[in-house]
Amino acid sequence: MKKDGIVEFDRNLGHMVRTATQSHIEVKPFYEPDDIAHLDYENDLADPGAYPYTRGIYPDMYRTSLWLKSFIVSYSTPEETNESFKQYIAQGMTDLRLLADLPTQSGIDPDHPAAWNSMMCGGVATYALPVYEKMLEGLPLENVHYELAHCGISNFIYFHALLIAHMENNGYDAAKLRGNSINDPVRAKLVYASPDFPTHVARRVCLDHIEYSVKKTPKWKAIAPNGVDPCQGGMDAVKELGGALSLATAVMKDLEKRGTSLDEYGAMVFALDAESDFFETIAKFRAARRMWARIAKETFGAKTKRALQLKIGIRTSGLSLQSQKPLNNAARVTLQILSCVLGGVNSLDASSIDEAVGLPGYEARIFNLDTQHIITHEANIPLVADPLGGSYYLEWLTDKMEKDANEYMAEIEERGGIFECLDSGWLNGIMEQNRLKLQREKAEGKRLIIGVNSFQGEEGPINKAVRGSAYKVPTEQLRQERVDEVIAFKNSRDYAKVKQTIKQLYLDTKENRNISRAVVEAAKVGVTIGEFAGVVRLAYNLNFDPLNQIDAPGFIIDAIEECK
Amino acid sequence: MNNDKKIRILLAKSGCDIHERGALTLLSVFRDAGMEVIYTGRYQSPEGIANAAVTEDVDIIALSDMTGSLFIIAKQVIAALKEVDAADIKIMAGGLLTDEDVKNLEGIGVKGNFGPGTSTDIIVEHVKQIMGGE
Repeated sequence: MKKDGIVEFDRNLGHMVRTATQSHIEVKPFYEPDDIAHLDYENDLADPGAYPYTRGIYPDMYRTSLWLKSFIVSYSTPEETNESFKQYIAQGMTDLRLLADLPTQSGIDPDHPAAWNSMMCGGVATYALPVYEKMLEGLPLENVHYELAHCGISNFIYFHALLIAHMENNGYDAAKLRGNSINDPVRAKLVYASPDFPTHVARRVCLDHIEYSVKKTPKWKAIAPNGVDPCQGGMDAVKELGGALSLATAVMKDLEKRGTSLDEYGAMVFALDAESDFFETIAKFRAARRMWARIAKETFGAKTKRALQLKIGIRTSGLSLQSQKPLNNAARVTLQILSCVLGGVNSLDASSIDEAVGLPGYEARIFNLDTQHIITHEANIPLVADPLGGSYYLEWLTDKMEKDANEYMAEIEERGGIFECLDSGWLNGIMEQNRLKLQREKAEGKRLIIGVNSFQGEEGPINKAVRGSAYKVPTEQLRQERVDEVIAFKNSRDYAKVKQTIKQLYLDTKENRNISRAVVEAAKVGVTIGEFAGVVRLAYNLNFDPLNQIDAPGFIIDAIEECK
Repeated sequence: MNNDKKIRILLAKSGCDIHERGALTLLSVFRDAGMEVIYTGRYQSPEGIANAAVTEDVDIIALSDMTGSLFIIAKQVIAALKEVDAADIKIMAGGLLTDEDVKNLEGIGVKGNFGPGTSTDIIVEHVKQIMGGE
């Protein structure tokens, strides 16, 4: 306020500071027919349900098949996780995403010394089958969509095996298991530096899981190249797209070498990110479908409709959500959900308004589900497929992203392929470069984050209530109970049976047979995630413990001695 | 403190928390502010962090964690520092923090506890202030 009491007025306060999208694609003030004159409707767009599926994979899109509403539900204990799943199902959740605490995702058990500091954080310590059965008690198993969203590659084959074991033990038909694993070896190393397996082991176990799944659980897609987490680590949308497509291509080529064609594999699933840039996000989903259809046809000679189709599963950007003025996250999430629906995605896991404060609470998640119900029933958005198709800007941007992603993929190929680029550190360099660029832009005010580096303002009671509702992390006493529990569990097992399955797992790994069935048998007699990962490591002449802090248990050393 | 000597910081993560963007951001922020920074990487043990702090002769350990376990981690690192006679090394913490966490951390001598989105200027200023105060 000036001295004379008149409020200072700045007409330009809050004016735009950018001329480029979030991923630095420079855009013009408007687009016109000439910008998309080179596009051919039949070849580049086509009707929804027709190759190259730019406009969606079903002719009637959401009238036939509404997107699945998903959440990762994973709290500290199996009981509260189970209870939450049931509550969300009653409110319209249709896709159940499973996760575990961070030590489990790294391939170690709760009694490992490195587990303590993050035990039961981010999820349940699902170290073995009985915990899983408790977590899934009363939940439907056949023809319900599940996703395994974990980090380490050890986790996907192991928890898929737990699902199969659980179904077989309870008289269900495992062939009716439906859903997908992320099972992305690039994300596991690039973003998480997962200690469980080095790349060569991760690639083999990843393929074992896919190959077995095609035969035994055909409705389970055992890989979903993931762009969400590389984006959270710093990648931009073009590199997200190019990275996911490069990985899908590399893995399907490896699978072909094992005798399974893309036509036998069927539809591809990608786990992509919904970022805050609205049109760029929509264009990315449209470009992804078109690019995969073209790769499937031109590189793999796919003939079936399914093999040409890409299904897109989403997690909206957790990184975009802020702990300052958390109520603003409601606007961010709503726009991100809207971009997913306009982009024709197939399943959608929206982050919650309290996500920057802690694990999402019940009410915050119900807000997400209700937002999707409002978009469907009040705003009538899904009535018409690809409602923005034909927009000069969106079609230009879709085409631009395809071109840029193709260039990036060509560069990856020149550098020896996606796995070479991963192990050489080149991908990490690209991610770091962009991360620093974003950081600099924020510091210099060239990228405004409302409530954080601009329009900070004071927080009132609503914002404070969001912050106060954060989920509490487990106490040290609860952690100790879990350690005692896993030790008691291990001691209660039939060691003769445990050793038998460990021998089979070791030999199958060593002699290059698909290990999936051996993992199911091991899971049934109580072999834990840490023991499973350790035995596979031993078969590759690696230390039992990925973190080099503990020795292999005596019975495992004995079992392996008996194999020699 | 001697103005010629640069402030040395060990950025550290303990346990299995995979979120490292905060640590990586501070790595470049502290360097840009003229400090010497070493990052332990993820999956470290408290003993490993204490040993690295001594070997690298740092003034401050900055713990980063997004699981909500900073108080538990800080207690372990403090115990590990005592084991190697390095209890004089200061500790600060960044990541997911409740008001109660901050109170608990301050109670065991961990000053400078910053949540996500804190202006990096404030964090750098804090480091300079506690080092200049000697």
